[in-house]
Amino acid sequence: MSKRVLVLLVVLLVAAMALAACGGSQATPAPSGGEEQSTSGTTEEQASTEEACKVVFGAAVSLTGKYAKEGEYVKNGYELYVEEINKQDGIPVGDKKCMVELKIYDDESNADRSAQLVEKLITEDHVTFLLGPYGSGNTFATTAIAEKYKVPMVEANGAATKIFNRGFKYSFAVLSPAPNYLRGIIDMALDKDPNLKTVAIVIENGAFALEVAQGAKDYAEEKGLEVVYFDKYAKAAKDVSSLITAMKSKNPDIVLGAGHLQDTILVMKQSKDLGLSPKVFGFSVGPTSPEFRKALGKDADYVVGAAQWTPELKYKSDDIFGTPQHFTELYKAKYGEIPPYQAAESAAALIAYQKAIEAAGSLDKDKVRDALAALDYDSFYGKLKFNEQGMNVYKPMAVMQNYTDGGLYTVWPKEAAVKEFLYPFKPWDER
Amino acid sequence: MESLQFTQGIVNAILLSGTLALVAIGFSIVWGILNIINLAHGAFLMVGAYITYWLFTLYGIDPFLSLPISMAIMFVVGYLVQRYLINMVIRAPLLVTFLLTFALEIVIINLATFFWKGDLRSVTPDYAGLGFSLGNVQVPYVRLAAFFISLILTGLLHVFMTYTKTGNAIRATGMDIDAARLQGVRIPQTYALTYALGTALAAGAGTLISISFPIDPTMGGAYTLRAFVICVLGGLGSIPGVMMGSVVFAFIEVFSGIWFPSLKDAIALLVLVLVLIVRPSGIAGKAFYH
Amino acid sequence: MSDREKKKAPLQYSLFDGLFQGRQGVLLGLFTLFLIFLAIFPFLSFASGFWLNTLTLILLLAAMAIGWNFIGGYTGYAAFGNVAFFGFGAYGTGLSMTKLGLSFFPSLLIGALAAMLFAIVMGLPILRLKGHYFAIATVAIATAMGEIADSWTSFTGGAAGITLPFFDPIEWSGQFFYYMSLLLAVGGLLLTWFILNRKMGYSWIAIREDEDAANMMGINTTWAKVMAFALSALMAGLAGGIYAYWKTFVLAEEVFKIEYTLQMILAAVLGGTGTIFGPFIGAFIYYILITLLVFFLPVGQLHATILGTIIILVMVFTPKGLMDFISGRKKISINSLLENIRTYRV
Repeated sequence: MSKRVLVLLVVLLVAAMALAACGGSQATPAPSGGEEQSTSGTTEEQASTEEACKVVFGAAVSLTGKYAKEGEYVKNGYELYVEEINKQDGIPVGDKKCMVELKIYDDESNADRSAQLVEKLITEDHVTFLLGPYGSGNTFATTAIAEKYKVPMVEANGAATKIFNRGFKYSFAVLSPAPNYLRGIIDMALDKDPNLKTVAIVIENGAFALEVAQGAKDYAEEKGLEVVYFDKYAKAAKDVSSLITAMKSKNPDIVLGAGHLQDTILVMKQSKDLGLSPKVFGFSVGPTSPEFRKALGKDADYVVGAAQWTPELKYKSDDIFGTPQHFTELYKAKYGEIPPYQAAESAAALIAYQKAIEAAGSLDKDKVRDALAALDYDSFYGKLKFNEQGMNVYKPMAVMQNYTDGGLYTVWPKEAAVKEFLYPFKPWDER
Repeated sequence: MESLQFTQGIVNAILLSGTLALVAIGFSIVWGILNIINLAHGAFLMVGAYITYWLFTLYGIDPFLSLPISMAIMFVVGYLVQRYLINMVIRAPLLVTFLLTFALEIVIINLATFFWKGDLRSVTPDYAGLGFSLGNVQVPYVRLAAFFISLILTGLLHVFMTYTKTGNAIRATGMDIDAARLQGVRIPQTYALTYALGTALAAGAGTLISISFPIDPTMGGAYTLRAFVICVLGGLGSIPGVMMGSVVFAFIEVFSGIWFPSLKDAIALLVLVLVLIVRPSGIAGKAFYH
Repeated sequence: MSDREKKKAPLQYSLFDGLFQGRQGVLLGLFTLFLIFLAIFPFLSFASGFWLNTLTLILLLAAMAIGWNFIGGYTGYAAFGNVAFFGFGAYGTGLSMTKLGLSFFPSLLIGALAAMLFAIVMGLPILRLKGHYFAIATVAIATAMGEIADSWTSFTGGAAGITLPFFDPIEWSGQFFYYMSLLLAVGGLLLTWFILNRKMGYSWIAIREDEDAANMMGINTTWAKVMAFALSALMAGLAGGIYAYWKTFVLAEEVFKIEYTLQMILAAVLGGTGTIFGPFIGAFIYYILITLLVFFLPVGQLHATILGTIIILVMVFTPKGLMDFISGRKKISINSLLENIRTYRV
């Protein structure tokens, strides 16, 4: 009996490995929408007649765990691009066109799992190119794998500069780096009221937020503001009332928050509880997401947030989306809501690939890498151009505000603003 | 430290201690009577919070009115879980019950994330965030109400345990299971009832927390840990001890939050370890079990 | 655990539990075959980077589970904070490599020694605690250490973490870390076997069965307990150091996460606590189960529910692990599955 059990275990183990290794194609990726099925169907039909050309993009994205919501936006952005480009029979490579396929796994918002999945995408699924996960932590872990196997990764959701300080050759980011996030808000506030004197900054204790905060502090001081409060709260904190009280006792003109959606909501909620009413409330991530309004209702009014991209920007491009407005239409038709910038930048990562592939005229990984390094393209998302480290430092950040009519509008930069920046923040006790 | 921070800190700590006492009391009776560490306590708390959220969002039921509903639902759930699952292995070594309740927590949280998604939600009745000020110090109404409701519930539990026949049966079981059995106490039912009470109290706390703080499926773990620390501080199984432990813990938490905001639980946990080493039966003294 | 419970719990383990009993020849042979398979694995044609990665994780987990077994399995102290030692090993290795500029092996040694030292310093006071109190003290210490590492920016790099250099040559890094992990796990098995044949092993089991009696018999229980704790820290510390260099970064939220503690306990429990091979085999069973759930079954986002359900079933029906069945001490039957419930229900 027992012998059989052990033999069975060993056999099962070996069989499981062999099966997984030999039949890589049998692996079921996380379901990622109907359009891929139809895509691969077409590819198979073509394969029977001629050598089909397809380019497979792989990504590990957080579909569960703490970044599930943001991960969903990322996936939506990737999928929207794939659907649109396949309507035009794919990406032109040299003189033929290659259909695009997407392979997405759920990394559970876990950096370990993210790295493991990217290794699977490269060595088991043999994807052509890699896309990024959500968040600086996961991106940091996965770029190392991409570098190891010399597979390019264009990522759209890891803004920490430390990802790019390691001298990697195969990692590129389409989004503006973290230290730039809050600069737009500072500029805008000073433009509206040059008499603003003091800033308080609260920071989520995480790699991305710390860089955002440091960048904001340096910039504020450069602009002659006094930083009266600068402290961090624990990641996934459930109570920040101590920090709010501390800030309140400094009575700052501007309160800036460096963090993510969930803690931004918490800071707002407890600011109301404790009666913290500065003249400007600005955050790095959060206010631009539909979830923010859903969670706070009327209390979201007046709050401004940094945006990598907004639907109202005035970019014009010859890419498949053309303008931010057209991207917004397509996104709304498919997903029923205004696209958050995470979706746009994710789609932009694929546009960067498309333009690099077109320039290289090939799907060769090294040639495409070189073309990416040389890329200089104006997309619906803004400029796509990378510095030596692979960061896109050429694109400005925008600012959006939650308006009293329940809408979310671009208020900065001035040339793209659709509404006037509502100032000052209406104190809680006057509402 | 600025004086505003200090006075506001005191108010925050007192308000916090009420809710924490409610969280810890349910955990404490389960530990004291059943001798298991119920790691799923925080998960039940989270479900209680979501019941309130959905009743408010879908049917517009005021969160304070949903308190009895969420407690009743979770009472039944707790009874069934104990009667038909945990009772099966209740006397097994520590590791078994520990892992069993932990697995329960994993399942509940995962199902909650699957059905309700992982994002932060808030119960926002019109009066949320309103309050009055004492000088510069803010006292939010909902937190004040939550504080008093917690006290009332804790008091009711105390009365129940001391003056009713069932309450006495529960306490007798905790003190000496064999003697209780000889007295005609039906042990499996009593165990299930105790666990159900603990679960209902957790759900009640969840309801009150959901009015003041944003909720998400993973919110419970932090509360389980806090409940444990409070039980150790206050001594196991005594209701006044738990109340005192909550006050001490709330002050440690609030003021360590002011001085070391980036440390979430480290100070409180190190205090716990110190207390354990110096005085394993807790600062309040006697435990009625062991 | 109260005295009453102890009396009711039957004596469950003997020293030569597991594979060394009964049909040891065949089983040991099979196990050796499996080890040979692991040793040549990287040269097999289907050994992709992904499977090498997965097996490295399994072997590191096995090593930690073997370490946990010293304190949790043999000595019977429910340690729930062993991830602290993993974190100490990772940070010790990372800081030695970046701040002191040492190469990997001396750094690994420093990391592991730091973990052991911490275990001794913490172990002396908290190993006096019993049952739930000991369990929660270990959780508390591990959580607090993680938070301190996460916010002590000037020393640990705080939430930005430590970035380590790549293994050179990078093409062989997969194989290098795989063999390091294999060496560590197999070394752990040998260490277990070695200790069990020494007085230390008897002391551990005597403490588990009845600590007061062990004390009266003249066993230095404090020394034995602290050694068990320190050796489990050694295993976890070495695993942490290897992990840090393998991943090329150290972040508190990664290397101090409580999931690692749970994984090592689950691996030990699945295989069988207080057995030599149990934790090793348990790590494989656990991880392959997880991998199959995540990658090859369409259960998607519900895999944690399935994992939890499996734990519940194991705890209710066979909390001694699968080792009892493998070694032939128990037959798989309805009766043997219900035995646990019959013993422990009310």
